Amino acid sequence: MKKITIALVGQPNVGKSHLANAISGSNLKIGNFAGVTVEKATAKLRTDDYAIEFIDLPGLYSLEDFSADEKVTKEFLKKGDYDLIVNVLDSTNLERNLMLTTELLELNKKIVLALNMDDEAVKEGININAQNMSKILSVPCIRVSSKTKYNIETLVDTIIDVHEKALIPSKLIYGSEVEDQLQTIARFLEEKHFTIEGLSYRQIAVGLLWQKREIYAIVHEHPLYVELQPILNNALGHVYMYCQCDEIDEVIHRQHAAFAKGLCTEVLSVSKIKAQSVTQKIDAVLIHKFLGLPIFVFLMWALFQLTFTLGQFPMDWIESGFGWLGETLGETIDNEALKSLIVDGIIAGVGSVLMFLPNIIILFLGIALLETTGYMSRAAFLLDGFFHKFGLHGKSFVPLVTGFGCSVPAYMAARTLKNKKDRLLTMFIIGFMSCGARLPVYVLFAGAFFDESIAGNVLFAIYIFGAILGLIAAKILRVTAFKGEDEPFVMEMPKYRLPSLKLLWFMVYSKSVLYLKKAGTFILLASMLIWFISSYPKNDVIEEEYGAKIEALQATQETQATDKEALTAQKDDTAQAQETAPSDDKVASAEADKEAPVADPKESAEEGTSVEDQIAALENEKHEKIMEQTYLGMAGKAVEPFFAPLGFDWKMGVATLSGLAAKEVIVSTLGVLYALGDEVSEDDASLRDIIKENISFASAMAFIVFVMVYLPCLAATAVFYKEAESLKHTVLLVLFTFATAWVLAFITYRVLLLFA
Amino acid sequence: MVDLSQIDKNQKAFIKTIHAQHSLKKRLQSLGLSAGQEVQVVETSLQKNTIKIALGFSSVALRLDEAKTVEVELAS
Ligand SMILES: Nc1nc2c(ncn2[C@@H]2O[C@H](COP(=O)(O)OP(=O)(O)O)[C@@H](O)[C@H]2O)c(=O)[nH]1
Ligand SMILES: [Mg+2]
Repeated sequence: MKKITIALVGQPNVGKSHLANAISGSNLKIGNFAGVTVEKATAKLRTDDYAIEFIDLPGLYSLEDFSADEKVTKEFLKKGDYDLIVNVLDSTNLERNLMLTTELLELNKKIVLALNMDDEAVKEGININAQNMSKILSVPCIRVSSKTKYNIETLVDTIIDVHEKALIPSKLIYGSEVEDQLQTIARFLEEKHFTIEGLSYRQIAVGLLWQKREIYAIVHEHPLYVELQPILNNALGHVYMYCQCDEIDEVIHRQHAAFAKGLCTEVLSVSKIKAQSVTQKIDAVLIHKFLGLPIFVFLMWALFQLTFTLGQFPMDWIESGFGWLGETLGETIDNEALKSLIVDGIIAGVGSVLMFLPNIIILFLGIALLETTGYMSRAAFLLDGFFHKFGLHGKSFVPLVTGFGCSVPAYMAARTLKNKKDRLLTMFIIGFMSCGARLPVYVLFAGAFFDESIAGNVLFAIYIFGAILGLIAAKILRVTAFKGEDEPFVMEMPKYRLPSLKLLWFMVYSKSVLYLKKAGTFILLASMLIWFISSYPKNDVIEEEYGAKIEALQATQETQATDKEALTAQKDDTAQAQETAPSDDKVASAEADKEAPVADPKESAEEGTSVEDQIAALENEKHEKIMEQTYLGMAGKAVEPFFAPLGFDWKMGVATLSGLAAKEVIVSTLGVLYALGDEVSEDDASLRDIIKENISFASAMAFIVFVMVYLPCLAATAVFYKEAESLKHTVLLVLFTFATAWVLAFITYRVLLLFA
Repeated sequence: MVDLSQIDKNQKAFIKTIHAQHSLKKRLQSLGLSAGQEVQVVETSLQKNTIKIALGFSSVALRLDEAKTVEVELAS
């Protein structure tokens, strides 16, 4: 089985990812915004003879390094290991797409042109003569549609065909004056038998005339250069004169533009003129001067409302399901330690994270919709003016929104920003956009401390508050650490497109699977670890001591209970006696009667509950003491002073620290810690109720604020380091986020205490 | 000289020259803003900081600062 590696190249939003998906049925990430594909994603396909691998490169408008993700593609095309290029074009915007194609043709690689979006082109009355185009370019051009899967098989066959045959040089023809000069240079090279491996004379000539560095580096070393130079100078002089321009880049651009235009007139025919009227009409509303922003805010609000309200039902089912599972499994296990590990460790920990899967799915679906419909770039348009005031860029919106899903892809999405300072600044702020993993913490606390009817709004407020903090932080950083020039804002507004359901399904599905995998592996391990360090070492002394105290109390309770019984027995006697008592005693005995039943039971009831309370308090105290003796307790005690001013107990402190591993772990840690401490009053109280009982409102809000701001998980921080390529900035990020989180949580706590 | 930031909404114009610095110029060109191309401002943001222009089969958003570098000629 032979392998073919294919580089998918094209401008943003032409459907590269969708095409890879259509060919291989894989789940690549697809988006409708420049730069959503930021990593080289790969998809695989097997035919009878070949294993074909597609590398879905970030879209780029030209081979000029404009932004970091375009650089990724260019580097790959120049140095990467691949067999042929599949250049994907948007048939509905052929001329502009051909500008990139001309640059690709100059690379002298095997290439196939996929004229994508054929379904849409046909609808818009655009007809491309692909056969004619193949002939003119001497490169196979195929009309395809990733949506309807039209011609996909032909495309695969052509790819294999081109791969098997030798490279046929493409015919990229320039203006006649330029062609004349190229011929002169090529003839000279031929006379002198000057060759460069893999390049024809004409291609070397093009490289020289376009002043390509790689070609110059080779030719310059050669003695021939002395003779060549005057010829080149002469040729350039002619070309400059002919084009009335003395900048080679401009000349190249004009040549390419002329070629693209010429080719279009040859192969393109438009039967009805209906240039993107639908998109313009939608935009007239969605980015309307006055309506645009309110609509945007409303859409965001609706997303968070849905996240909470729709997610609520399955969440309750999952929670009670796990509760049931814990109880039933618990009953079948005899070994106390094993039972505790499974029920309090694994089920409580993993269950508390899995519970939030429905919320996560809804949130990811929302983000996927933003990406695929084309609304994302409208939001960037709407927010640019506002963002600009805070030193950010409209394009920062994409990484920031991606940050609501997960910080890791968000850091990578920041590559669309050209300017390094803008990019770093955006990356610093991404942490303020609460990622999906923090959602469980918010849902838990919002559900515990607020009424269900407003919990969705609270959730929205938390996200908005985080975003506002981010903007303020951006402004502060902009005038201190990241002073510098603004990056220009130029961005394509892609057409609105209805994403196919399959596509959405793939995007949401792949992310949910990732979340589940994380719950099944990482969080499972973390839960077990937390359970272990919070259960061991066991301390028998405390257990015995409290056991004895409790027994003593129970004993007094029992004696009281017997007293009470005796009392009631006595009363019965008096009642009987009364019945038989003489009538003149009636008034007196009635008075006594009134007193007795009112006073006695009340007193005894009071005593009874107070003993029960005492026992419960002792039990709690016992658990506290035992927990404090464990490894986790020791760690908690060590960090307690740091968190005490924020109103956190040591359990919250520990949960915060464990959140560094992954934010979901915060909830599972709380789940394990409070489940362990709650063994006795196991009246199927949910974690939410336990939290509500154990944590004060002020502490809880301070906790939310802290979680909102402090360092994204370690994995994200590692990606930050990789993307920023700077240790200094990574350290700065850690210090900055921790300091901000602490200060803000402190303020929240203290202010709320004043009001309480 | 008339530039893109000065023309009214829905007024048609043709691009004459782009005066932007090198990399921005390349970017504008590869987004389809080349000499002779017909353009039209179709949408502006609230404070007119950002505009959306339509050209040929696509549309592009840019800030007023960038629009100032694009010299145009009004279509009669
Ligand atoms: N009608 C139609 N839409 C398509 C086709 N291919 C892709 N799309 C849509 O175009 C948008 C951008 O596609 P995507 O694969 O993200 O483009 P990329 O940036 O080149 O990877 C998505 O909403 C796709 O659903 C096609 O052949 N026909
Ligand atoms: Mg893509």
